[in-house]
Amino acid sequence: MTPMIDDETLDRQLRDAAPYIDDAGFTARVMSQLPARQREPRYLRAVVLLGLTILGSALAYVLSGRGRFVTEGVVELSNFPLWLLLVFVFGCGLLVGGAAVIFAIRKTPEVRDLARFRF
Amino acid sequence: MPLSDAELVARVLVDDDHHAFAELVRNHQSTVRGLLRQLTGSDVALADDLAQETFLRAYKNLRSFRGEARFSTWLYRIAYNCFREYARKRRELVGIDEEQLEREQDPQTVDPALRQDLMHAMSLLPIHERTAIVLCCQNGLSHEEASRVLDIPLGTVKTNVLRGREKLKRTLAAWAAA
Repeated sequence: MTPMIDDETLDRQLRDAAPYIDDAGFTARVMSQLPARQREPRYLRAVVLLGLTILGSALAYVLSGRGRFVTEGVVELSNFPLWLLLVFVFGCGLLVGGAAVIFAIRKTPEVRDLARFRF
Repeated sequence: MPLSDAELVARVLVDDDHHAFAELVRNHQSTVRGLLRQLTGSDVALADDLAQETFLRAYKNLRSFRGEARFSTWLYRIAYNCFREYARKRRELVGIDEEQLEREQDPQTVDPALRQDLMHAMSLLPIHERTAIVLCCQNGLSHEEASRVLDIPLGTVKTNVLRGREKLKRTLAAWAAA
Protein backbone atom coordinates (compact mmCIF):
# COMPACT_ATOMS: atom_id res chain seq x y z
CA MET A 1 0.00 0.00 0.00
CA THR A 2 1.34 3.46 -0.87
CA PRO A 3 1.68 5.69 2.23
CA MET A 4 -0.30 8.92 2.26
CA ILE A 5 1.64 12.19 2.20
CA ASP A 6 1.53 14.62 5.13
CA ASP A 7 -0.31 17.97 5.16
CA GLU A 8 2.83 20.07 4.80
CA THR A 9 4.04 18.17 1.72
CA LEU A 10 0.59 18.30 0.18
CA ASP A 11 0.33 22.09 0.73
CA ARG A 12 3.79 22.61 -0.77
CA GLN A 13 2.89 20.51 -3.78
CA LEU A 14 -0.37 22.42 -4.19
CA ARG A 15 1.46 25.76 -4.11
CA ASP A 16 4.05 24.49 -6.59
CA ALA A 17 1.35 23.09 -8.85
CA ALA A 18 -0.51 26.41 -9.06
CA PRO A 19 1.01 28.07 -12.11
CA TYR A 20 1.74 31.80 -12.23
CA ILE A 21 -0.74 33.17 -14.76
CA ASP A 22 0.97 35.54 -17.16
CA ASP A 23 -0.71 38.95 -17.39
CA ALA A 24 -0.93 38.79 -21.22
CA GLY A 25 -2.82 42.08 -21.54
CA PHE A 26 -5.24 41.39 -18.67
CA THR A 27 -4.26 44.51 -16.71
CA ALA A 28 -4.59 46.67 -19.83
CA ARG A 29 -8.10 45.29 -20.46
CA VAL A 30 -9.14 46.07 -16.87
CA MET A 31 -7.66 49.58 -17.03
CA SER A 32 -9.48 50.32 -20.30
CA GLN A 33 -12.79 49.57 -18.52
CA LEU A 34 -12.20 51.95 -15.62
CA PRO A 35 -14.26 55.14 -15.51
CA ALA A 36 -12.39 58.23 -16.73
CA ARG A 37 -10.18 60.01 -14.21
CA GLN A 38 -11.60 62.97 -12.36
CA ARG A 39 -10.24 66.14 -13.92
CA GLU A 40 -10.28 67.99 -10.61
CA PRO A 41 -6.81 69.52 -10.04
CA ARG A 42 -4.78 67.78 -7.34
CA TYR A 43 -4.18 70.98 -5.39
CA LEU A 44 -7.87 72.00 -5.28
CA ARG A 45 -8.63 70.01 -2.14
CA ALA A 46 -5.58 71.46 -0.37
CA VAL A 47 -6.53 75.01 -1.41
CA VAL A 48 -10.11 74.56 -0.17
CA LEU A 49 -8.94 73.09 3.15
CA LEU A 50 -6.35 75.83 3.67
CA GLY A 51 -8.85 78.58 2.76
CA LEU A 52 -11.47 77.23 5.17
CA THR A 53 -8.85 76.93 7.93
CA ILE A 54 -7.73 80.54 7.46
CA LEU A 55 -11.33 81.76 7.34
CA GLY A 56 -12.25 79.79 10.47
CA SER A 57 -9.18 81.06 12.32
CA ALA A 58 -9.90 84.68 11.34
CA LEU A 59 -13.52 84.34 12.48
CA ALA A 60 -12.47 82.78 15.78
CA TYR A 61 -9.90 85.56 16.29
CA VAL A 62 -12.44 88.34 15.70
CA LEU A 63 -15.29 86.73 17.65
CA SER A 64 -13.10 85.95 20.67
CA GLY A 65 -12.15 89.57 21.28
CA ARG A 66 -9.05 89.49 19.06
CA GLY A 67 -7.64 86.44 20.79
CA ARG A 68 -7.49 87.96 24.25
CA PHE A 69 -8.14 84.56 25.82
CA VAL A 70 -4.89 83.27 24.32
CA THR A 71 -2.86 86.08 25.94
CA GLU A 72 -4.64 85.51 29.24
CA GLY A 73 -4.03 81.77 29.02
CA VAL A 74 -0.30 82.23 28.38
CA VAL A 75 0.00 84.70 31.27
CA GLU A 76 -1.82 82.29 33.56
CA LEU A 77 0.40 79.39 32.42
CA SER A 78 3.56 81.46 33.09
CA ASN A 79 2.45 81.86 36.72
CA PHE A 80 2.44 78.08 37.23
CA PRO A 81 5.36 76.61 39.23
CA LEU A 82 8.03 75.00 37.05
CA TRP A 83 7.40 71.43 38.30
CA LEU A 84 3.69 71.73 37.46
CA LEU A 85 4.52 72.95 33.96
CA LEU A 86 6.86 69.98 33.49
CA VAL A 87 4.16 67.54 34.68
CA PHE A 88 1.65 69.22 32.37
CA VAL A 89 3.96 68.98 29.33
CA PHE A 90 4.92 65.38 30.16
CA GLY A 91 1.25 64.42 30.59
CA CYS A 92 0.33 65.99 27.25
CA GLY A 93 3.19 64.15 25.54
CA LEU A 94 2.11 60.88 27.12
CA LEU A 95 -1.50 61.35 25.99
CA VAL A 96 -0.58 62.24 22.41
CA GLY A 97 2.00 59.40 22.21
CA GLY A 98 -0.49 56.87 23.62
CA ALA A 99 -3.18 57.95 21.16
CA ALA A 100 -0.68 57.70 18.27
CA VAL A 101 0.32 54.14 19.29
CA ILE A 102 -3.32 53.01 19.60
CA PHE A 103 -4.16 54.57 16.22
CA ALA A 104 -1.12 52.94 14.58
CA ILE A 105 -2.05 49.50 15.98
CA ARG A 106 -5.66 49.84 14.81
CA LYS A 107 -4.55 50.81 11.31
CA THR A 108 -1.91 48.06 10.90
CA PRO A 109 -3.46 44.58 10.59
CA GLU A 110 -0.14 42.75 11.13
CA VAL A 111 0.58 44.57 14.40
CA ARG A 112 -3.06 44.26 15.50
CA ASP A 113 -2.97 40.50 14.94
CA LEU A 114 0.29 40.23 16.87
CA ALA A 115 -1.19 42.20 19.74
CA ARG A 116 -4.27 39.96 19.72
CA PHE A 117 -2.65 36.54 19.47
CA ARG A 118 0.87 36.71 20.78
CA PHE A 119 0.67 38.92 23.88
CA MET B 1 11.39 49.76 -3.66
CA PRO B 2 7.92 48.48 -4.64
CA LEU B 3 5.02 50.09 -2.84
CA SER B 4 2.86 48.06 -0.46
CA ASP B 5 -0.80 47.36 -1.22
CA ALA B 6 -1.84 49.87 1.45
CA GLU B 7 0.28 52.62 -0.15
CA LEU B 8 -1.08 51.85 -3.61
CA VAL B 9 -4.67 51.88 -2.32
CA ALA B 10 -4.01 55.23 -0.63
CA ARG B 11 -2.72 56.68 -3.92
CA VAL B 12 -5.81 55.52 -5.77
CA LEU B 13 -8.11 56.98 -3.12
CA VAL B 14 -6.33 60.32 -2.73
CA ASP B 15 -5.20 61.07 -6.30
CA ASP B 16 -7.38 58.66 -8.32
CA ASP B 17 -3.99 57.34 -9.49
CA HIS B 18 -4.68 54.85 -12.29
CA HIS B 19 -1.03 53.76 -12.40
CA ALA B 20 -1.27 52.70 -8.76
CA PHE B 21 -4.44 50.71 -9.47
CA ALA B 22 -2.77 49.07 -12.48
CA GLU B 23 0.05 48.01 -10.15
CA LEU B 24 -2.51 46.45 -7.78
CA VAL B 25 -4.10 44.57 -10.68
CA ARG B 26 -0.71 43.32 -11.91
CA ASN B 27 0.24 42.18 -8.38
CA HIS B 28 -2.95 40.19 -7.79
CA GLN B 29 -4.21 39.15 -11.22
CA SER B 30 -2.54 35.73 -11.15
CA THR B 31 -4.01 34.58 -7.82
CA VAL B 32 -7.47 36.02 -8.52
CA ARG B 33 -7.62 34.47 -11.99
CA GLY B 34 -6.23 31.22 -10.56
CA LEU B 35 -8.96 31.10 -7.90
CA LEU B 36 -11.67 31.80 -10.48
CA ARG B 37 -10.29 29.16 -12.84
CA GLN B 38 -10.60 26.64 -10.03
CA LEU B 39 -14.14 27.78 -9.29
CA THR B 40 -15.26 27.70 -12.93
CA GLY B 41 -13.73 24.29 -13.62
CA SER B 42 -10.87 25.69 -15.71
CA ASP B 43 -13.11 27.75 -18.01
CA VAL B 44 -10.37 30.27 -18.78
CA ALA B 45 -12.49 32.79 -20.70
CA LEU B 46 -15.25 32.84 -18.08
CA ALA B 47 -12.71 33.04 -15.26
CA ASP B 48 -11.03 36.04 -16.92
CA ASP B 49 -14.39 37.79 -17.43
CA LEU B 50 -15.20 37.29 -13.75
CA ALA B 51 -11.69 38.44 -12.77
CA GLN B 52 -12.17 41.60 -14.83
CA GLU B 53 -15.51 42.21 -13.09
CA THR B 54 -13.77 41.60 -9.75
CA PHE B 55 -11.17 44.32 -10.33
CA LEU B 56 -13.75 46.78 -11.66
CA ARG B 57 -15.87 46.27 -8.54
CA ALA B 58 -12.77 46.62 -6.39
CA TYR B 59 -12.01 49.97 -8.02
CA LYS B 60 -15.57 51.25 -7.58
CA ASN B 61 -15.76 50.12 -3.95
CA LEU B 62 -12.20 50.84 -2.90
CA ARG B 63 -13.39 53.32 -0.26
CA SER B 64 -15.08 50.46 1.57
CA PHE B 65 -11.70 48.72 1.99
CA ARG B 66 -10.76 49.76 5.51
CA GLY B 67 -7.46 47.93 5.77
CA GLU B 68 -8.70 45.58 8.49
CA ALA B 69 -7.96 42.54 6.32
CA ARG B 70 -5.25 42.03 3.71
CA PHE B 71 -6.05 43.57 0.33
CA SER B 72 -5.80 40.11 -1.28
CA THR B 73 -8.39 38.72 1.17
CA TRP B 74 -10.74 41.57 0.28
CA LEU B 75 -10.22 40.87 -3.43
CA TYR B 76 -10.86 37.13 -3.02
CA ARG B 77 -14.16 37.96 -1.33
CA ILE B 78 -15.23 40.12 -4.27
CA ALA B 79 -14.10 37.40 -6.71
CA TYR B 80 -16.04 34.75 -4.82
CA ASN B 81 -19.16 36.95 -4.79
CA CYS B 82 -18.81 37.51 -8.57
CA PHE B 83 -18.64 33.75 -9.06
CA ARG B 84 -21.63 33.14 -6.77
CA GLU B 85 -23.73 35.67 -8.70
CA TYR B 86 -22.71 34.05 -11.99
CA ALA B 87 -23.56 30.56 -10.64
CA ARG B 88 -26.94 31.77 -9.39
CA LYS B 89 -27.79 33.31 -12.79
CA ARG B 90 -26.63 30.18 -14.55
CA ARG B 91 -28.92 28.03 -12.40
CA GLU B 92 -31.83 30.39 -13.10
CA LEU B 93 -31.23 30.39 -16.86
CA VAL B 94 -30.38 26.75 -17.46
CA GLY B 95 -32.11 25.18 -14.50
CA ILE B 96 -28.98 23.47 -13.22
CA ASP B 97 -29.28 22.44 -9.59
CA GLU B 98 -26.62 21.79 -6.95
CA GLU B 99 -26.83 18.02 -7.43
CA GLN B 100 -26.12 18.39 -11.13
CA LEU B 101 -23.11 20.59 -10.35
CA GLU B 102 -21.90 17.91 -7.95
CA ARG B 103 -22.39 15.18 -10.58
CA GLU B 104 -20.28 17.24 -13.00
CA GLN B 105 -17.45 16.82 -10.51
CA ASP B 106 -18.08 13.16 -9.78
CA PRO B 107 -14.72 11.32 -9.97
CA GLN B 108 -16.48 8.26 -11.40
CA THR B 109 -17.41 10.15 -14.59
CA VAL B 110 -13.88 11.39 -15.33
CA ASP B 111 -11.57 9.55 -17.69
CA PRO B 112 -8.86 7.88 -15.55
CA ALA B 113 -6.29 8.71 -18.21
CA LEU B 114 -6.66 12.39 -17.33
CA ARG B 115 -5.80 11.84 -13.69
CA GLN B 116 -2.17 12.77 -13.99
CA ASP B 117 -1.48 15.71 -11.77
CA LEU B 118 -2.49 17.44 -8.62
CA MET B 119 -4.49 20.15 -10.31
CA HIS B 120 -6.64 17.53 -11.93
CA ALA B 121 -7.13 15.86 -8.55
CA MET B 122 -8.28 19.27 -7.33
CA SER B 123 -10.88 19.47 -10.05
CA LEU B 124 -12.44 16.30 -8.67
CA LEU B 125 -13.21 17.87 -5.33
CA PRO B 126 -16.67 19.33 -4.64
CA ILE B 127 -16.61 23.07 -5.19
CA HIS B 128 -16.79 24.09 -1.51
CA GLU B 129 -13.84 21.87 -0.59
CA ARG B 130 -11.86 22.96 -3.67
CA THR B 131 -12.41 26.62 -2.85
CA ALA B 132 -11.31 26.15 0.76
CA ILE B 133 -8.19 24.26 -0.39
CA VAL B 134 -7.29 26.93 -2.97
CA LEU B 135 -7.68 29.76 -0.46
CA CYS B 136 -6.02 28.12 2.55
CA CYS B 137 -3.43 25.73 1.08
CA GLN B 138 -2.51 27.41 -2.21
CA ASN B 139 -2.98 31.10 -1.44
CA GLY B 140 -1.94 30.93 2.20
CA LEU B 141 -5.04 32.43 3.82
CA SER B 142 -5.73 31.55 7.43
CA HIS B 143 -8.95 29.68 8.24
CA GLU B 144 -10.34 32.92 9.72
CA GLU B 145 -9.57 34.87 6.53
CA ALA B 146 -11.12 32.14 4.34
CA SER B 147 -14.17 32.18 6.58
CA ARG B 148 -14.55 35.93 5.91
CA VAL B 149 -14.01 35.49 2.16
CA LEU B 150 -16.55 32.68 1.83
CA ASP B 151 -18.93 34.12 4.44
CA ILE B 152 -19.30 30.76 6.17
CA PRO B 153 -18.55 29.67 9.76
CA LEU B 154 -14.94 29.03 10.74
CA GLY B 155 -15.73 25.40 11.64
CA THR B 156 -17.13 24.77 8.15
CA VAL B 157 -13.92 26.10 6.56
CA LYS B 158 -11.82 23.82 8.77
CA THR B 159 -14.00 20.83 7.90
CA ASN B 160 -13.85 21.58 4.16
CA VAL B 161 -10.05 21.94 4.24
CA LEU B 162 -9.70 18.74 6.25
CA ARG B 163 -11.99 16.73 3.97
CA GLY B 164 -10.44 18.20 0.82
CA ARG B 165 -6.94 17.35 2.01
CA GLU B 166 -7.95 13.80 2.90
CA LYS B 167 -9.57 13.26 -0.51
CA LEU B 168 -6.53 14.67 -2.32
CA LYS B 169 -4.21 12.44 -0.32
CA ARG B 170 -6.32 9.36 -1.01
CA THR B 171 -6.55 10.19 -4.73
CA LEU B 172 -2.83 10.83 -5.03
CA ALA B 173 -1.98 7.70 -3.07
CA ALA B 174 -4.28 5.63 -5.26
CA TRP B 175 -2.75 7.03 -8.46
CA ALA B 176 0.77 6.46 -7.15
CA ALA B 177 -0.12 2.86 -6.33
CA ALA B 178 -1.65 2.23 -9.76
